[in-house]
Amino acid sequence: MNLLSPAALWLAPVAAAIIALYLLKIKRRYETVPSLEFWRQLVSETQIRSLFRRLKRWLSLLLWLVIAACLLLAVGNPVFTSSAMKPQSIVVIIDNSASMQTIEEADGGRSRLELAKAAVGDILGQRPVSDEWLLIEASHQARVLHGFTRDKRAVLDTIDDVTPRTVRGDLQAAVALADQLLTDKDQPRILIVSDGAAGDVRKLAEADRRILHWPVGRSDDNLGITDINVRALHERSAHFVFLRITNASKADVEAQAVFEVDETTVKVEPLLVAGGEEWEKTVVIERAEGGVLRVSIDRADALLADNEAFAVLEPAEPSTVFLVSPPDESFFIEQALLAMQPLVDAETSQTLSLQEYEALGQLKNHADVVVFNNCVPETWPVGGGAVFINRRPHDIPARTTGHLANVRMDVTEPEHPLMRYLSFGSASIAAAERVEILQDAQVLARSADGDPLIFLYQRPERQALCLTFDVLETDLPFRTSFPLLLRNAVTFFTSQQKRWIGGHYVTHQVVESRRHVLPEIEEITVVRLTSAGSETETIPVTAGRFWFNGTGTPGVLRFEIGEDDAYCAINLNSGQESNIAPARPQQPAEDVLTLSRPIAGVVPWLAFAVAGGLLICTEWFTYHFRWTE
Amino acid sequence: MSDPLFDKDFLKKLDYLNLIAKRLVFGRQQALRQSTKKGASTEFKDFRNYVHGDEPRHIDWAVYARLDELVIKLFRQEEELDLWVLLDNSGSMNFGVPSKFDAVRRIAGALAYIGMCNMDSAGVLPFSTELSDGRSRMRGRRCIFDLLEFLTRLNSDGQTDLAHVARDFVSRVRRPGLVVVISDFYGLQNSQRAIDQLRFFKHQIYIIQSASPWEINPSIRGEMRLTDAESTEHCDLVVSDSMLRVYRRRFEEFHTQMRKYAMRYSIGYSLATSDVPFDEFILGVLQKGGLVA
Repeated sequence: MNLLSPAALWLAPVAAAIIALYLLKIKRRYETVPSLEFWRQLVSETQIRSLFRRLKRWLSLLLWLVIAACLLLAVGNPVFTSSAMKPQSIVVIIDNSASMQTIEEADGGRSRLELAKAAVGDILGQRPVSDEWLLIEASHQARVLHGFTRDKRAVLDTIDDVTPRTVRGDLQAAVALADQLLTDKDQPRILIVSDGAAGDVRKLAEADRRILHWPVGRSDDNLGITDINVRALHERSAHFVFLRITNASKADVEAQAVFEVDETTVKVEPLLVAGGEEWEKTVVIERAEGGVLRVSIDRADALLADNEAFAVLEPAEPSTVFLVSPPDESFFIEQALLAMQPLVDAETSQTLSLQEYEALGQLKNHADVVVFNNCVPETWPVGGGAVFINRRPHDIPARTTGHLANVRMDVTEPEHPLMRYLSFGSASIAAAERVEILQDAQVLARSADGDPLIFLYQRPERQALCLTFDVLETDLPFRTSFPLLLRNAVTFFTSQQKRWIGGHYVTHQVVESRRHVLPEIEEITVVRLTSAGSETETIPVTAGRFWFNGTGTPGVLRFEIGEDDAYCAINLNSGQESNIAPARPQQPAEDVLTLSRPIAGVVPWLAFAVAGGLLICTEWFTYHFRWTE
Repeated sequence: MSDPLFDKDFLKKLDYLNLIAKRLVFGRQQALRQSTKKGASTEFKDFRNYVHGDEPRHIDWAVYARLDELVIKLFRQEEELDLWVLLDNSGSMNFGVPSKFDAVRRIAGALAYIGMCNMDSAGVLPFSTELSDGRSRMRGRRCIFDLLEFLTRLNSDGQTDLAHVARDFVSRVRRPGLVVVISDFYGLQNSQRAIDQLRFFKHQIYIIQSASPWEINPSIRGEMRLTDAESTEHCDLVVSDSMLRVYRRRFEEFHTQMRKYAMRYSIGYSLATSDVPFDEFILGVLQKGGLVA
């Protein structure tokens, strides 16, 4: 047996005091009486009973010693172990990611974070005072909340202040931080108090024997939106909304997804999600004027944070595209652009020769995208995007080192927005330039030998998609895909250049400006749009850029930049957090930590305190009823 | 500083008790307080034959004329009544809170005062193993101050030998009087023998048995060594509740036996517990009667 509070041993002299008091109690007292006449008679009559009475007094002493032992153990908070407990250095990683907001009805409607706090309190109370404790918060980033201390009260006070965050947690980072901090510590231990949704705790525990998982939570009833993505469908003045919903429970769940634009319901999608499965659907929302989209699941479950998601529907605005090409080589590309209506504004877009383009002067900047086919301007426009086919200006850091003949094209970045929906198959190119890229540029397609064939050059003020070959030198598979590549380029460049910020962020992601802010604008107003109203704050502009990190809550933000407005949606979007089914450790942490086990359903110190109290009552009654002396 | 044994308040209470005593006892019993002895009063009692040495003026000459026999007329003699207070001042009396000895000294003083005022004389004789001289045949209320001073200086010490004291008393006091014996009467058989001795000498007796509250209901428990206040002998014992219950029963029986003894021989009896004020006690005695026959 070990005492969690060895200081209680200082109370051991109480036993000696009891014995001393007992000896004083049984010490013969002297009394003078007028006559011994009656007392002498009584002595002879009660001598046998006196012996029995002495035994009863020893019983009284025994009772008091047991009471003293019970009280000592109650203060000492014992743990029954076969070996001595060594003081440990314990790093407590408390998970306060989104899944820890799950309400556990079976535990009195308390959240998992509250249960985690209570668990840490229990653990602290069931370990010796000689342990060293360090507290780390594991949300989107690991953060030390309290350095190593033996002051349990300080740790408990700190943990009381931990708040839940609607964010994907990063337990791995927290473990890495704990590992660093435990260097040179004796008896190191990492205790992860988590439901396991923030990371694969079991793998972490298997990789490092110092890691213990203290599971929190039992419920798995959750249907959560784990992905939402919006793509404008300009030709139909509509938006594609991709929605993914995950069912964390084992049972099939039926519900509805409600789509609201600017607080008006525009669509309701019935759902039937099998247990542990995902539901995905792309929904078309026809809203040419755009708006704020809120998607919600009309079902109350254990985790409410992922029951709604937001997106910004940008208004559909056609782009102006200039095609600069030798007249006899423009037909194919011109037809491709014409097929892109209404994405491309037919009235403002035009086909120009290089001379005509150079003569435009300032009007050059009216184009959102300029496609240069087999020609290169003296200067390419600042802002907007450009597509250079077969030729490119000198300020693009790429050098022609030779020629390629009959090369096959391999897409290296199939997930990039520019390459979306493209399938070149076995496209081959009769002739292309061998190009060496001198600075950073993203290669989207290469030859079989690795030479760049399509690459993206991006700078804050301009961006260009470069093709190192003539489209007319390609075969049919490429030519059929080329209009789609051109479309992706127009969509990509217009969306990139028009937006001040991205359209979608996950919680706690920093919103960073994509465009330079005019020098006269010194601060930006950020408005958080909620159903109850709006909250406003201002952020400074530094060197033409701004950063905003107040993205802890899902919702929609409006950035007021001078006379412009920019919207972005903040969402949790984490399948990991929505999968709230708690992970179970292979080995119970309480066994490894040798925590005290309950006696008759209560913690040992309380059991001993109750026993001591009962014995005191017993002693009182036996004394006052004269069963003991 | 403890209260003085006899203060002004005590004297006031004495006067009050004296008035009560006159009204309740001595006012109506004056006529009855007559001796059985024949004497020289005017009230005729009997005749007897003349013997040599008789006073010739007591011869009833009318009878001699009729019967030719010399007979003497006998008259009832009025006799003095003395009050004797035998006060136990042995070691056992100096016990209890309030002290038994203090209580009985006040009672003795009060009784003597009443005796001095209403009877022919009063005396207080302390005793332990021996009978002390004390104060005898005090007459008139002026003597009270001397008596109170004597009682104030009186100590309690030594053992009780009531039988010896009684023998000594009857040898000293031949004329029967009212004898008030104040003691705790431990050693009941000896005490009763001593009282019998007083009774045989025609003394009218009143017993005041003194006890302290502690003696009636002792507040001791556990391992004890009890020491006798008179003999300094000791007794080791473990006092328990059951033992105390037996003790209380025995002590009650002790008082009861004393009371029964007194009733059997028409002796006045009162139990004086030391926590009862003396005036209250005296009043009770006077109301109960039996102090003066």
